[in-house]
Amino acid sequence: MENHNSRYARHYSLKHFGYKGQQKLANAKVLVIGAGGLGCPVLQYLAAAGIGTIGLADDDIVSLSNLQRQVLYNTKDIGKAKATVATLKLQQLNPDITVNSFKMIVNSANALALIADYDVVIDCTDNFAARYLINDACVLLNKPLVFGAVFQYEGQVAVFNIADENSRKTNYRNLFATPPDPLEVADCNEAGVLGVLPGIIGLMQATEAIKLITGIGAGLVNKLMTFSILSYDSYIIDIAADDSVHGYVPKDEDAFKNTDYNWLCGMSSGGIEDLQPLIFLEKINLPDTVVIDVREAHELPKVDFKNLNIPLSALSENISEIGAHNIILFCQSGKRSLKAGQLLLEKFGQTKNISHLKGGIIALHETINEQTR
Amino acid sequence: MAVKIIAFGQIAEITGKEFVVGVNDVTALKSVLNEKFPALAEKKYAIAVNKKMVTDNIALNENDTVALMPPYSGG
Repeated sequence: MENHNSRYARHYSLKHFGYKGQQKLANAKVLVIGAGGLGCPVLQYLAAAGIGTIGLADDDIVSLSNLQRQVLYNTKDIGKAKATVATLKLQQLNPDITVNSFKMIVNSANALALIADYDVVIDCTDNFAARYLINDACVLLNKPLVFGAVFQYEGQVAVFNIADENSRKTNYRNLFATPPDPLEVADCNEAGVLGVLPGIIGLMQATEAIKLITGIGAGLVNKLMTFSILSYDSYIIDIAADDSVHGYVPKDEDAFKNTDYNWLCGMSSGGIEDLQPLIFLEKINLPDTVVIDVREAHELPKVDFKNLNIPLSALSENISEIGAHNIILFCQSGKRSLKAGQLLLEKFGQTKNISHLKGGIIALHETINEQTR
Repeated sequence: MAVKIIAFGQIAEITGKEFVVGVNDVTALKSVLNEKFPALAEKKYAIAVNKKMVTDNIALNENDTVALMPPYSGG
C-alpha cells in the first residue's frame, strides 16, 4: 500500500521518479559536512526533497559576513552555532525527516565513526585539510562522496568512490594527489566569492546526491565539472584512474587516525600562539613587542595601530630587523601570518615569543563591528 | 603543433584564460609554460587533453585543447 504524502506530490507525478524515487530518498542517509555557503543550499533542498536522515556537521558560528551567501541564517542568528540554527530551520522546513546535528570539527579521530553511519557524504567544507581528510575517510570506508568547491566566479563538482561501467573508481587524490601549499590558494575570505556562486554549486551537489540515490540521469562519476557563472560554460573532464595515487591515502583506519591533516596542509600552528582578535588588541601594546604586517605594501585595509610592514615574500631577507622579544604577526586572513610564524620559528626557535592574529584583519574587523553594533 | 590552452581559476590569473602554444607533447608544454610564466612552476594543477585528464606525457596533435585546472577549496 503506497502511503502518499502531499508534500512530495510533484515528485510522485514526475516521470522516471515517482513514488519509488521518493521512497529511495526517504530511506537514504546523507551526511553534509560544512553548513556554510555550499552547505546551506545542500541542506535546504535535501531536507525539502525528503531525504530520510540528514547528518550535518559544523563547528562554526554565524557571523555577519556569512549572510551574503549562507541563506539558512538571518541577522538575529549572528553569534549562534551554525549546526544548532541549521538543524532548527531544517526541522521547521520538514518535520517528517530526521536531522542529526554534530556541532564539532570533523577530524581524523572522529571522521570514520561519523561517516560510517551514512550512505552518501557531501563535502561542503572550505579548506584543503578538511577536503583531504573527508576524501581519505570516504576512500577507506568506500562511501560515495559528492565534492563541491568554489573560487571567485567558478565552481567544481565531482562524485567520487563510485565504480563506473569499467569498474574504475576515482577520488580527489586522482585529481590532486597532495594538497597545495597554503599560500598558493586563497579561500573565500581572501579571494572573495560572489554570493550566488556557492548557491549554484551547492545545488549541483544536492542534485548529484539525489541522482545517485534514485539512479536517475548521468552523474559526474569519475568526472570533474568546472562551471563558470560569468559565461555559464561548463567544462567536464574525465578523471584519470591512476592507481599510483593510492599510496597517498592512509593504508588503514589506524594510519588514518594518526594522520595530522592540518599539518599536511600547512595549517598547523605548533609553537606559534593563535591570538583571538580581542587578545591581539591587548597584546600589541605590551613592551618589547613588534607587530608585523606581512601583507604586501599595497594591500587594504590599512590599520590604525603601530606596525612594521615586512611582506611575507621579503621576510627571510629582513629577519635581522626584528629585535623585539615578542613578535606578533598579522595578515588578511591569518594564513600568511602563520606561514611567516613558521619561518621565524625556524630562525629563532624558542628564543622569541611568536604569535599571530588568528583569522587576520578580516576577523579583527568582524569582531570590532560586532562589538559596536 | 598549435595547441589551444584553456586555463581556470588562479592559473588563468597568471596565464590568461585562453592562448595558443606550439608544442609536440605534454612535457614540452609544461616546460614552455614554466619558462613563459615562472609563477606557474610552484602551482598545482591537473592537465586534461581534449577533456581527458592525463598524468603521463602524451603526444599533442594540431588543434588539441589542453585544460589547466587548479584545485579550488572555497565553500
